[in-house]
Amino acid sequence: MPNENSDNYPWLGRMFLWVDKPGSANKIFWGLAVFCGLLFLIDFFYEKHGHFDIEHIPGFYGIYGFVMFTGLILLAKGLRVIIKRPEDYYADKAVDREEYPDDQLEKVDHNAD
Amino acid sequence: MLIDQIPTAFLFFAAVLVVLGAPQGPVRGVILLMVPVIAGLQVWSLEPGIFNQVEFFGFTLDLMRVDKLSRVFALIFCLAAFLGNLYAWHVRDTVQQVAALLYAGSAIGAVFAGDLITLFFYWEGTAIASVFLIWARRSEGAYHTGMRYLVMQIGSGVILLAGAALFYRETGTIAFEKMTLGSPATWLIFLSFGIKCAFPLLHNWLQDSYPAATVTGTVILSAFTTKLAVYALARGFAGTEILIYIGAVMTLFPIFFAEIENDLRRVLAYSLNNQLGFMVVGIGIGTEMALNGTASHAFAHILYKSLLFMSVGAVLFRTGTSKASELGGLYRTMPLTAVFCLVGAASISAFPLFSGFVTKSLILDEAGAGHYPIIWAVLVFASAGVLSHSGIKIPFFTFFAHDSGLRPKEAPTHMLWAMGITAFLCIAIGIYPDPLYALLPYEVEFHPYTTAHVVGQLQLLCFALLAFGVLMRTGIHPPEIRAINLDFDWIYRRFTPALIARVANFISRFWTAKMNFWMRRMTEIKTQLFSAYGPEGRVAQSQTTGAMVLWIAIFLGITLIVNFLS
Repeated sequence: MPNENSDNYPWLGRMFLWVDKPGSANKIFWGLAVFCGLLFLIDFFYEKHGHFDIEHIPGFYGIYGFVMFTGLILLAKGLRVIIKRPEDYYADKAVDREEYPDDQLEKVDHNAD
Repeated sequence: MLIDQIPTAFLFFAAVLVVLGAPQGPVRGVILLMVPVIAGLQVWSLEPGIFNQVEFFGFTLDLMRVDKLSRVFALIFCLAAFLGNLYAWHVRDTVQQVAALLYAGSAIGAVFAGDLITLFFYWEGTAIASVFLIWARRSEGAYHTGMRYLVMQIGSGVILLAGAALFYRETGTIAFEKMTLGSPATWLIFLSFGIKCAFPLLHNWLQDSYPAATVTGTVILSAFTTKLAVYALARGFAGTEILIYIGAVMTLFPIFFAEIENDLRRVLAYSLNNQLGFMVVGIGIGTEMALNGTASHAFAHILYKSLLFMSVGAVLFRTGTSKASELGGLYRTMPLTAVFCLVGAASISAFPLFSGFVTKSLILDEAGAGHYPIIWAVLVFASAGVLSHSGIKIPFFTFFAHDSGLRPKEAPTHMLWAMGITAFLCIAIGIYPDPLYALLPYEVEFHPYTTAHVVGQLQLLCFALLAFGVLMRTGIHPPEIRAINLDFDWIYRRFTPALIARVANFISRFWTAKMNFWMRRMTEIKTQLFSAYGPEGRVAQSQTTGAMVLWIAIFLGITLIVNFLS
């Protein structure tokens, strides 16, 4: 999109443009990291009534979420190696290689009007 | 009032005639919106009890069994039908309009069915009506997908009928009440419900068919069939322990497939499967609170799942694709759709103040209270898994991530309204769950907003988000690529047909070989006989036919001469 004028975007879209500014991704990431740190610290300041002992470990949910999420992604990545197939694998018996019928859509470009 | 005397499902069926009489356009659109509203008001005003009993071949059918469990499901079905029809305001396809009405009507009829025969009729009704939402795409692939869908759905109905017949022979009643697994009858009914509920290994019809339906069809499909099955399980098999383990597996395996799937509507179908797992676990635990959890989670789930399907559908409607590898950066020109999608994502991920949080924690809490440590750990893991595909993948790779260069126009107004109302409800339930809790089958004594709950859930989700950030920054996170992934349906779509072809080939070759052998033997015997008895054969050599004729002529001549001379 050369010469694109972002002034044409809806106002809400223009507000979101901030996320693509250089450095914004870093800010979001480190902001999240700080927030996670705070959530971890809060765990020391209230009484827990969990059903299991493990829930009483400070930061249990955080650690569990981080570790399991990472494990999930790595396992899924491994799974992909085994089960990935080209889009036309099932040929005309599936919709995967088809284009969606154009007459049922309203493909309109934002800059069209 | 007259309208109270009519079974709710019949309102939808009668409306089909009105719709067919009305011209395409706003008039028909208004009727399509009015029907679920009228039906919803009727359901709202119904008193508990059994109405509309009819005699049918010596059986008494209960068309309307109204209690709190059936009522909450019927209400959310009416709401889903309204939102789906609003989203489909632009559709000028009579097939889809009629199918949507018949489908919603059948689902509501099934929820109110007080006996197994009525249930069977509506059960098949949902199957037959809904397949047209897939076929309405009118493509070769959609045709074949619809056929596969129909085989599974009709199969489920036939198994239900077989189960009902056995159940009647066994117990002498066709009442649809709580059952105990054990006899062939109850196992058949259980299997029938399990197919529609997309139990593990019976699940593939879901991920196969929902991405193949039309833009609006998928939104409507996502609401009814599987939640009808959840209702049926809650009614018939509450407290059946095996459901806890089935449900736990259901929450678990789809998250891996969803993570690497490229078609976002299929990602949502896997995610739907995972959410059903939570509900099934609740049914398996079977306590009053767990069943409350299941009913409320079904209610909230229909809304946020519709919302997610709507937002991805709007993108498909504007760009022609729902594949993550082709999308990205759409927030620029579709910001409202992006925001609604984020609300749906936050709701399904169960962020505090969103609907999933106040409903899922009921089930999780009961899993903890019932001391199922492994099940509880699985459910918490699956909650982080939900975040990975529905919470992050759907909004991030559609509206953010790398810029695809696509600049589609914002979704049409009616779609924005449908998404806006749904998003509003997702947040409203999250902030103020009491009205939803009041609709549930049992008294609710539950406070989702305790410090421990909120902090625990925020920790789980935010640390998982952080893990996503780390994986993205290190490049470990798998990229979105154009491909499909095999699932269990490979067994019946590729392996079994290939196996049958192999076996058929083997048998035919064996047959041909045997036939050839015997044909050769026959030919040999024929040749041998021919060489012995044929005109040139050794047997014929001494006594040829010519010689015979000659001798007859000679004898005849001698006889003549003897006759002449004597």
